[in-house]
Amino acid sequence: MYWISTGLIFRRVTSPFHELDPRVKLLVSIELFSLAIMADTVVEVSLLFASILSLAVLSRILRRLGRTVAFSAVFAGIIFVLNVIASRPLIESVVLASRFIAIVAATSGFFLTTSPDELEYVMRWFRLPRDIVFAFVTAVRFVPVMMMDALQIMDAQKSRGLELEKGNIFARIRKFVPILVPLVVSAVVRSGELAEAMESRAYGVTNKPTSLFELSLRSRDIFVIALSLLLFILSVLYFSA
Amino acid sequence: MIKFESVSFTHLGGTTVLSDVSLEIAPGELLAIVGANGAGKTTLAKHTNGLLKPTRGIVTVFDLDTRKASVAELSRHVGIVFQNADHQLFSETVEDEIVFGLRNLGFDDDVVKKRLEWALSFFELNRYRNVAPLLLSGGEKKRLCIACVLAWDPEAIILDEPTVGQDYAQKEKLEQMIRMLLTRGRSVIVVSHDIEFVWSLQPRVIVMAGGRILADGLADQIFTNTDLLEKANVRRPHLVELSELIDPKPEKPFHTVHDALHWIVHQLRR
Amino acid sequence: MSLIEFIDYSFSYIGSDKPVLDQINLKIESGEVVILAGPTGCGKSTLLRSINGLIPQMYPGKRSGSVFIDGLDVTTTPMSKIAEKVGFVFQNPENQIFMFSVERDIAFALENLAMPRKEIRERVSWAMDLLHITDLAEKAPHELSDGQKQRVAIAGVLAMKPSVLVMDEPTSLLDPKTASALVTTVKHLHDSLDITVIIVEHRLEILASLATRILIMEGGEIMLDGPPREVLSKREAQVAGIGIPVITRVYTLLKESGLTLPVVPLAPRELAELLSVRSFD
Repeated sequence: MYWISTGLIFRRVTSPFHELDPRVKLLVSIELFSLAIMADTVVEVSLLFASILSLAVLSRILRRLGRTVAFSAVFAGIIFVLNVIASRPLIESVVLASRFIAIVAATSGFFLTTSPDELEYVMRWFRLPRDIVFAFVTAVRFVPVMMMDALQIMDAQKSRGLELEKGNIFARIRKFVPILVPLVVSAVVRSGELAEAMESRAYGVTNKPTSLFELSLRSRDIFVIALSLLLFILSVLYFSA
Repeated sequence: MIKFESVSFTHLGGTTVLSDVSLEIAPGELLAIVGANGAGKTTLAKHTNGLLKPTRGIVTVFDLDTRKASVAELSRHVGIVFQNADHQLFSETVEDEIVFGLRNLGFDDDVVKKRLEWALSFFELNRYRNVAPLLLSGGEKKRLCIACVLAWDPEAIILDEPTVGQDYAQKEKLEQMIRMLLTRGRSVIVVSHDIEFVWSLQPRVIVMAGGRILADGLADQIFTNTDLLEKANVRRPHLVELSELIDPKPEKPFHTVHDALHWIVHQLRR
Repeated sequence: MSLIEFIDYSFSYIGSDKPVLDQINLKIESGEVVILAGPTGCGKSTLLRSINGLIPQMYPGKRSGSVFIDGLDVTTTPMSKIAEKVGFVFQNPENQIFMFSVERDIAFALENLAMPRKEIRERVSWAMDLLHITDLAEKAPHELSDGQKQRVAIAGVLAMKPSVLVMDEPTSLLDPKTASALVTTVKHLHDSLDITVIIVEHRLEILASLATRILIMEGGEIMLDGPPREVLSKREAQVAGIGIPVITRVYTLLKESGLTLPVVPLAPRELAELLSVRSFD
């Protein structure tokens, strides 16, 4: 659980990259993502990895990105094997597998450097419906809380003799009922309480709530946009050649 | 029966939550563990049934080393009832809920049936036998949680913050139940920050702070030691405070309101 | 008209014919600090929710009679309008914080009411200052202690500048030290804002000396209503099964033995002083 939480949950870190406007971070991620889809030679993939690596170092998320990448390496391995079986040349299979890792890294990098707060602002900026944005925010906010609940529930049930590791596959699946039911029930109770609090704080009065902050691009954001667009266009030209 | 020998516990993240804790709990004892939030009370409790294993030192429960025995094995002897009833109840009926622990621990059908009937009657849950646990009231749910653990008759039972969210009537019932358990020779350990409740039990008291045991003694000694209480960030029971402020002071602090009444009346008649 | 008025108000939830509130007649004036106490199931949570409109607007049911808050009919006025008059703080610190930073959470209600940004900023600063949490402005919920979370909830509610603060067992999930600190904070808020406070609380010893009035409910009715010292020393209060402060129980026992002290004590110090003067008949 400790490892999961460090890999997926946004933690407060400062780096030059973190301080950029979240829309810029999104742009960079999309650029890397697109290049990952287009890369089809070893050189191109290597360039891509080099960029991702340097950005990861710059934004100080290297270790945590490493964990996500390690996890995705399993799937990359499967892609590699399937391609070899399909009689693709070895080099190509490596490239395809690496592309997958690059895609995962680009996406994960965005989420690791963007706080849920910033994600919410980006969603609002895209004019997504208020309820969807709120549902997303609430989910991200309470997932860690529910994880803690799950740990408490497991402690309580283990103390009643529940042994999750024993038994055949069917028995083991059934053993999750005493964990899932209380978890779901707490989630339902929690949503009820949240609903009360929301109503009491005038949620839903208008479809266009105002906001405390607004996103505004600063000079460093403009600089990064310009630089990244330039590099992106150059890379696209190179990759397509 | 339960023995902690120089136990320390450090989290994966690096924080030390228990530091050099040594403690022995005998059968039939009533023990309260008090201390501010974060003092390590619940962490200590979780070491008694193997949920947590010490990073240093040994915990033995009936001669079983908790590092080697499973949580299920240890739970047979030490039953922990956690604070949040909603994090435990999941069955379709109260009956199923009580039987859950018994079956997990491998008891025979006839024993299970006997223990179920005992638990239902001892905890006055007979009329809820076929009711879904989630439909019970807060106080009844708590009672059910305790029933589920006592069903398999562990020698020791730990109640983690049993009075949180309970009203006065429920707390009185809880006190009665604890006393009944003691008369049956079971050890009861209460982890609580409800000082008035602890005082009314007049137990052996362990004061914890910063992962260490600061003091271990009878309620009278512990709760009159103002320096100790301040250090542990624990307040004095109101009757103790009254006993210290009143003039002349009684020899022993008042255990109950009736003690206070009799002393005052006696003093005034002079 | 009183700030809060219940007139012959009864309520039962859908599907149940037993009334949870039975002919409630109650007037609460501006500036009062009222404790609402009673055994579980007496209807206090329902009464509280009838003040800000959660009942019957979010929890429909059978009702009769009326509830007015500052002249507004609670059953028909939109909850958002009532929210600007009545702020509600709930029991669980965790389930009232929605946003990822304290200041954004405090702004939540104001954003919902579509207030201009400048005003939101001012009110958020003001609320944080009031609750002494300005240094926590950028913290995320998981970085806060339970006591801090409750303060954030109170700030978020006060940002709407309500005239009534309603709290449903705000300290029951907190440890004693944090609970006392929170109660002291609420008292300061009352004194500096002259806001009316209504609290449901089991632990009367931490609150009784700060309240101006206590209502004891049972079976959906208000059984006792008056100043705390008066009400808590009555025999009926003892029978109601609520947590009368230990010291007050000593007073009542003394009275029944024929020794009546001139003032009803709520804390050990008070009782000790009364006894030292040996002033009673």
